[in-house]
Order: sequence, then C-alpha cells, then structure tokens
Amino acid sequence: MVQLNNGITLFFSLLVEAMPFLLLGVMFSSILLLFVDEQKLLTIMPKNVMLAALAGGLIGFLFPVCECGNIPVARRLLMKGAPTAVAIGFLLAAPTVNPIVFWATWIAFRDQPEIVFLRVAFTLIVAMSIALIFSTQADMRPFLQDNLTQFMGEPQPSTSRPSSPNGSASISAESEISPLLQSGTFLMQSPGQVLQLDAPPTQVLAQVPTALPPLPSRLRMMLDNMVLEMRELGAVLILGSAIAAFVQVAIPRETILGLGQGPVTSILAMMALACVVSICSTVDSFFALSFASVFTSGSLLAFLVFGPMVDLKNVSLLLTVFKGRAIVYLFLLAAQMIFLLALMMNLYGG
Amino acid sequence: MTAPVELRRGRSRSPKTSHLPWQAILDGVMLLLWAAMLGRFIVTGQLYLLLHPDYAWLAYLALVLMTLMGLGRLWQVWQSTKSPRRQGAPRSQEHIALLPRQISSALLLAVAMFGLLYSPRPFTSETAFQRGITDVLGQTRSRPERFVLSGAPEDRTIVDWVRTLNVYPEPDAYTGQAIQVSGFVTHIPTWPENFFMISRFVLTCCAADAYPVGLPVSLPVGTPRPQPDTWLEVSGSATTETLDNKRQLVIGSPALTEIPEPRNPYEY
Repeated sequence: MVQLNNGITLFFSLLVEAMPFLLLGVMFSSILLLFVDEQKLLTIMPKNVMLAALAGGLIGFLFPVCECGNIPVARRLLMKGAPTAVAIGFLLAAPTVNPIVFWATWIAFRDQPEIVFLRVAFTLIVAMSIALIFSTQADMRPFLQDNLTQFMGEPQPSTSRPSSPNGSASISAESEISPLLQSGTFLMQSPGQVLQLDAPPTQVLAQVPTALPPLPSRLRMMLDNMVLEMRELGAVLILGSAIAAFVQVAIPRETILGLGQGPVTSILAMMALACVVSICSTVDSFFALSFASVFTSGSLLAFLVFGPMVDLKNVSLLLTVFKGRAIVYLFLLAAQMIFLLALMMNLYGG
Repeated sequence: MTAPVELRRGRSRSPKTSHLPWQAILDGVMLLLWAAMLGRFIVTGQLYLLLHPDYAWLAYLALVLMTLMGLGRLWQVWQSTKSPRRQGAPRSQEHIALLPRQISSALLLAVAMFGLLYSPRPFTSETAFQRGITDVLGQTRSRPERFVLSGAPEDRTIVDWVRTLNVYPEPDAYTGQAIQVSGFVTHIPTWPENFFMISRFVLTCCAADAYPVGLPVSLPVGTPRPQPDTWLEVSGSATTETLDNKRQLVIGSPALTEIPEPRNPYEY
C-alpha cells in the first residue's frame, strides 16, 4: 500500500513537472506549423549532412524546452520535410543545447565549468554522429511510424502543387527527383492510400503554403493543433510517467547506486539512473548536483548527456515518431558513445 | 500499436453525421479538468509534495495554458453550434497518433479525475530505506560551497546538520552542542535497539528525486523506540557513538515531542 502510494505520488510528480514542458513544445510545434514557411526553413538548411546535423542540434536555441517538448517539434520538422540529419540532430541535441538548460547547468555546476561545457560538447558529438549514421539510410520511412510517414515526403520547394486536394493524387515523378527529400514513393501506391484526399485543413495547408489563411483562422488552427497534439502526446506522457514511477518503486535507487562508484561502474550506474528517474533536462542538473561528490565527473556527464536523449518517460514519446527498432538503435548508439566519452573523461580528464 | 488500421477506419466516418462535435467537447472538458487538478494541487498545498517550490511556476504555467486551451476549445464548439456554416466544426481528428484518440482522451480524462480525488502522500521511512538513508550521513549530496550556516546550532535543521557534517565530518568537534530538529522516525535494522534515525526527505526538483537525510538518535537503554514514521521534535545534545563501524554524530539524552506531520514535509 505504501509502495502504491509512493508510486502514484511519483507519477503525479513526474506529470506535473513534465506536462508544462510538453505544453510549451506543443505550442512551439503549432507555431512552426502555421507561422513558419517550411520552404524558407528548408532553403536555409545546409546541404552538407554534417552541417545539417549541427544545424539541427543548434535549432535547440530557438526552442528552449526539454525532451518532452522537443518531440512534437522534431516530429513537425520531419513532417515539414526537414532532412533526416536535421531532425535527428535536433531530437537528440536540442533538449540539452538550449539556453535554459545551459543556464540551469551553469547555476548548478558553476564551480565545475568543464561539466557545463562538456555537457554541450558531448551532446553535440553524440547527436551529430547518430544523425550522420541515420542519414546514411536513404529512406527513413521504414524507421518511422506509419501514420507519420503518411504526412511526409510530398512537399517540395520546386514542385508546383495543385490547390485542389483531389489533384494531389497525381503528383508523381517531379517529387521523386528532388535532392532534398528521400521521398515520393508512397505516392506511387494505390490512390486509396494517398492522404491528401481528405487531409485535415492544417495538413492541406502544410502542403499548399501559398494559400496561408488570414490570422484569425490561423490562430484557430493553431488551437486545434495544440489540442490534438496535447491529447495525443499527453496520453503517451502519462504512460511513460507511469512506467517510470513503477520502475522507481520496483527497483530501489540504492540498487542502482550500489552498482558501483569506480570509473566504469559509476558511469553505468548514473546512466541507468538517468534512464529510470526520467526527469526533464531543464532541471536534471540540480539532481545530478546532489551526486556530485559521490560520483565521478564522467558519470555525472553521462547522466546529463544520456538522460535527455533516452529515458523511460520519453521512450514512449519517441514511439510516436520512430518504430521500436529505430529506438533500439538510437538507444544503443547513444549509450555506447556516451559511455566511451564519459570513460575518457574519467580516465584522462580528471 | 496497430493504431493506423484502426484510425483509417475512423477517418472514413464522416464527422458531419453528428450534430455535436463530441470529441471537441471532450477535449475542452479534459483540458479544464486538468487545469482543475493542477489548481487543486496548488490550492491545497499538495503541489509541494510533488514539486520543489522553485519550480511551482511550471504548474502555474500549465494551469494557465490548459485553462486557455480548454476555454478556447469550448468557445469553438459554441461558435460552431451557433453558426455551423460559417465556422465549421472544430477539427478534432488527426491521424498521426500512436494511440487511438479514444484511448488518449480516456487516459487523460481518467488521470485528471483521479488527480482531482487523490491526495499525494509524502514518502515514508520505508522509502527512505529504499533510497539509501543508511549511508547518507557520510556523503554530501549538495555542494558545501552553496550554503551558508545558520548561526546557533539549535537552529539548524537536519539538512543543515548533514551539510555541516559534510564540510567537517569529525563528530567530536560538535560534542555538547545543542540540537533541536524535527523529522520522522526511521528504524535502521543494523543498529542497536536503542537507536533510531530522525529523518527528512530533501527535494531538488520533484518528488522523483527526493533523497533522505537523517541523524541518529540514541535513547537511554530500555526506552522503547518510537514507531517508524512518527513525526517528532527531538532536542538533545551532540555526542559521538560508533554505529555500523563508523564514528558518527548522535543526538544524545534526547527529549522527544510528538508533532503533527507538517504541511510541507520536505526540506530543500
């Protein structure tokens, strides 16, 4: 009974902490949908994959929210046709590389500035590497959730789109030759699967940017979109928080911390802790601070870099973008790289 | 996870057949219920069981955003029923969802209603164990540079004492100083019968990261220990004892006063 009460209290605690960030993210995502012209966005994106990954990581400076808030934005970026490298770079780096998180980390670790800067550096390194690895995959769609891929791929800067939704079924060869997107194939499927036929207004809008409606209706659509995303991601966040709360109650924290405090084991312990505790990147540095004297700097860094990328709470949110397989790849790649970087820090940095 | 199939079926159903946009009404009600839940946590002070006061503004922000969104949604519904042709029903279906929207709505509604009824409970001594109270005394979990000692020893809280000990751990240095602290009782199984721990949870941002701190209390031999989780005010003087093969500062010759559980049981 005590356990149950603790679990529920933890659950609400995680929700109350994460929901505001999710709301902010949903708001940013809706603004991106209705007030940002994706053609302009795509033209300013660097063509070079390396630079695109970096650019994706640095977009975080415009969206100062944690991982719960970034997932709706990353999803929107993908739907708007941003290159894979940009979207992945953003998804992994933005929760850490943004002014609020930087400021919070600075406040917490003022007297260990190397942690603050290495947090940003390691995050960028890992995010860019994973973005590069994923962008070697020419067609991302097998990795993405079906219902997301249905909205991707079609918008092209150079393609003239028919304004009538019925006509979009016939867009074909032109959209396949664009260098920007690895796309277009789904249009070759049977006409029944072409989504523009009855897409909701904002989706049609996203594909016909020349027909931007007046401000009041845009605001109305923004509200529509916020409510929709909030409903969907909020429910997913609830599931994620429930799982995180359950695991925290089921596995005593002592067990995790007891894994060890050596140069190697401390990193594993802190990464496991980051995954289980699932607190948002905007506040996790204060939590890490409470372990500062017990654990090695490398393990603290591992906690600060790994937590925002993958944790129990946001795996469920990531599932709204990626298929399970892709998340496993993400998780393994991130875990390995962060482990190695943190180990280097422990062995040579300190 | 087979949502897409489910969803495509949902899509083919025309929304025009129903007069009232039920989904939109449900969304509005759901958002307002969430706002009400947050409002209840804030008004009853239970928010402090969940969040560090420094981050309470997050809950305020969510409360405002959700209220606005909920009201906006219901206003849209109102507009669309008044003049359906001009506005059109509020759009409430999009099909990029991981979960079918019925399940999403149901989950969100259920959690909001549960949150309106449920009172979060502060953590107890059992959790203190789980989170490793036993070895807390020896280690610091906050940077000593960041805190300023309050003057008189008897004004220090448990956390202040633990931090002080982190800066200068030699227990003999404090012998004879007056200690007056309040907290809940935790029994440590490896300790002798006449010792217990007077403890508190410390929050850094939310309940998910609460960690316990405590000071050992030594009772005269033969005195029964208070029940775990009893809230006590303990006043005594600092002595040194060896517990778990470690010399520790212990509150000796204590006077115990039972106190009601504080409204905000955490320290920061």
